[in-house]
Amino acid sequence: MIVLGFDTATPATAVALLDDTHPAAAAELRHEPAAGERPGHASQLLALAAQLLATTGLRFTDVDRLAVGLGPGTFTGLRIGVATARALAQSTSAELVGVSTLHALALPAESAAERAGADFGVLAVIDARRGEAFAAGWRGGRAVLEQVALAPAKLARRVAEEGGSWLAVGDGALRFRDDLERAGCTIPTDGSEQHAVSARAVCRLALEAPQGTARDLVVPDYLRPPDAVLASPPKKPSS
Amino acid sequence: MTLILALETSCDDTCAAVVSADGELRSNVISSQGVHDAFGGVVPEIASRHHLELANAVVDDALRRADATLDDVGLVAVTQGPGLVGALLVGVATAKAIAAARGLPLAPVDHLQGHIAANFLRIGADSGAGGIMAPPFVCLLASGGHTLLARVEQYDGFSVLGRTLDDAAGEAFDKGARLLGLPFPGGPALERLARDGDPHAFAFPIARNLDGLDFSFAGVKTSLLYRVRDLGPQDAAAHAADLAASFQHAIVEALALRCEQALEQTGLRRLAIGGGVAANGPLRTRLEQLAVTVGIPPRELCTDNAAMIASAARFVDAQPFPAYLSLDAYASGERALA
Ligand SMILES: Nc1ncnc2c1ncn2[C@@H]1O[C@H](COP(=O)(O)OP(=O)(O)OP(=O)(O)O)[C@@H](O)[C@H]1O
Repeated sequence: MIVLGFDTATPATAVALLDDTHPAAAAELRHEPAAGERPGHASQLLALAAQLLATTGLRFTDVDRLAVGLGPGTFTGLRIGVATARALAQSTSAELVGVSTLHALALPAESAAERAGADFGVLAVIDARRGEAFAAGWRGGRAVLEQVALAPAKLARRVAEEGGSWLAVGDGALRFRDDLERAGCTIPTDGSEQHAVSARAVCRLALEAPQGTARDLVVPDYLRPPDAVLASPPKKPSS
Repeated sequence: MTLILALETSCDDTCAAVVSADGELRSNVISSQGVHDAFGGVVPEIASRHHLELANAVVDDALRRADATLDDVGLVAVTQGPGLVGALLVGVATAKAIAAARGLPLAPVDHLQGHIAANFLRIGADSGAGGIMAPPFVCLLASGGHTLLARVEQYDGFSVLGRTLDDAAGEAFDKGARLLGLPFPGGPALERLARDGDPHAFAFPIARNLDGLDFSFAGVKTSLLYRVRDLGPQDAAAHAADLAASFQHAIVEALALRCEQALEQTGLRRLAIGGGVAANGPLRTRLEQLAVTVGIPPRELCTDNAAMIASAARFVDAQPFPAYLSLDAYASGERALA
C-alpha cells in the first residue's frame, strides 16, 4: 500500500511517502519557515507532495491511502492540510485517514522508548499561542493524557499529578521548557529532531487504521472554539 | 465534453459550479452559511471552518446537477482573491488538489473579474453567443465588500472608472438597516420596510460633489444616524418605513447618477450590474429607466457564486499542471501577477 501523509498543524510543512512493503525507507520532505517568515503551507504542501511522488515515479492516482494530521495546531494550517487531503481523496480513489498531530509528534520518541525498554512517558506539546499549549501524553503504548489546551503551569501540574518520568517533545516543550522541566520532564536540546512533527509518523499511524474514514468526517481537531470576531470591511482594491 | 469546474469561497458562501467550455451554465450551487446572521456580520474563523466542511460536498453536488463527473472536467477554476484570506485558502487548496490529482490545468480568478464575467454566461433566453452582455459595456458592481464602476472593453479585464472612498453600497445598506433595528443582512430587510415608506420624507445626502466617478456612502449613513437620534426611539420607530425609503432612495440615486455619468463619459450605451445590491428592486427600476441597454444577471448570479468564476476562467491564462502547485490566495488588492 502506498501512503502519502502530511502535517500542517505547526509552522512546518511536512510530507512523506511510505510503501508498506518497505516502511523503513519512507521518504520525507519538509519546509520550515525562517525566523519571522510566515508558514509556507499554502505554497509548499502540494508542491512538496508532487516532488516526492515524482522522485519515485509515482502520481497522485497511485496513492492508496492519504494520511493527514488533524491537529491540534494553527487553524489555517490545519485547514490547508485537511482541505488538500479531502480534495485529493475526492479526485482519486485513495482512502482518507486523519491522525492526531500530537500522536505523530510523540511516536518516534515512543518507539525509541519501547525499543530501549525504557519506562518513561512521552508528552507531545505544541505551542498553541496566547500562552497556551496543546498537549497529550502516551506511556507504554497507551494514551494516558488526553488532548488538552492548557496554560503551561496547569499542564505542568497535570504531568506532576500523573507521576513517573516524562520526555516532553515539540515546539511547545521548547516554548514552555521552564514550566515543564520544573514538573520533572526531560526535554531534548533545542535543535533536536524530536521536536518536529514527522510526516513519516503520520503515515505510520494511518497504516494502523483498518480502513479509511468517510471524507466528510475528516475534520480538524481545533480544540478551541472560533473567536467571534467580525470581519473588518474588506479592503478596497487599489489601482 | 470538456467542462469547467469552479470554486468560490471568498466570504461566507461555499460555492461550486459547472460551466461548459463555451460559457453555458450547467450548474450553480451555493451553500449559504446562515450562522453568521446571529453575529450581525461575517465571522472569518467560522466561515473558514464551514467552507472546509462543505467544499467537497458542494463540488459533488455541482457535478451531479450538471450530470457530470470529474472525468468530464477539463479545467478547474478558483477565486484567488480578494476576500477573507482564511476562507479563500480553503477553496484554493481544494481546487489545486482536485486539479493536481488529475493533472488538470488551473485558472486562478479575481473575484471582481468574476462578477463582471457573470454577464458572459449563457443561460436560457440569454444563450446567444455573447451571453447576457458582451463587451464593451459599463458595469456597476455593488456588494457588501465592493462598489465599483468598471469599463469593460474585453472579456479578460476591465478598467476602474470609479470606486467607493469609504463604505461599500451593500455595507451602507447593512449599517443603515442596523440603525433601524433590522436584522443582518440588512439590504433585503431594508428594501422590504421601504416599500411602505415615502422616499422623499427625509433628505439624505447623495455625495454629488465628489470628483470623478467615485462614490461615498459614509455621509448618508451618518446622516441617518443623526436623524434617528434626533427623532428619538418612538418617532424613529413610527417613521421607520419613511426613513428606510429615503435612505434607500439616496443610495439608489448616488449609484444611478454615477452610472449615467459613466455612460456619458465613455460614450457606451450598455450597462450591466452585479453584486448583491443588484438585487435591489428600486435600483433595477431606476437603471432600467436610463435610455441604454441594461443587463442584469439573475439574482443568484449577482451575489457571490462560482458560475461567474467559471465564466471568467474561460478568458484567463490557465496554468498547466504542475505550475500552480505553489499558488497562494491574496486578501486585497488587484490580482497578484504570478
Ligand atoms: N435587495 C437588496 N437591496 C439592497 N442591498 C441588498 C439587497 N440584497 C442584498 N443586498 C446587499 O448585498 C450585500 C451582499 O452582497 P453579495 O452577496 O455580493 O456578498 P458580499 O459578500 O458582500 O460580496 P463581495 O465579496 O463580492 O463583496 C449585502 O450587503 C446585502 O445587504
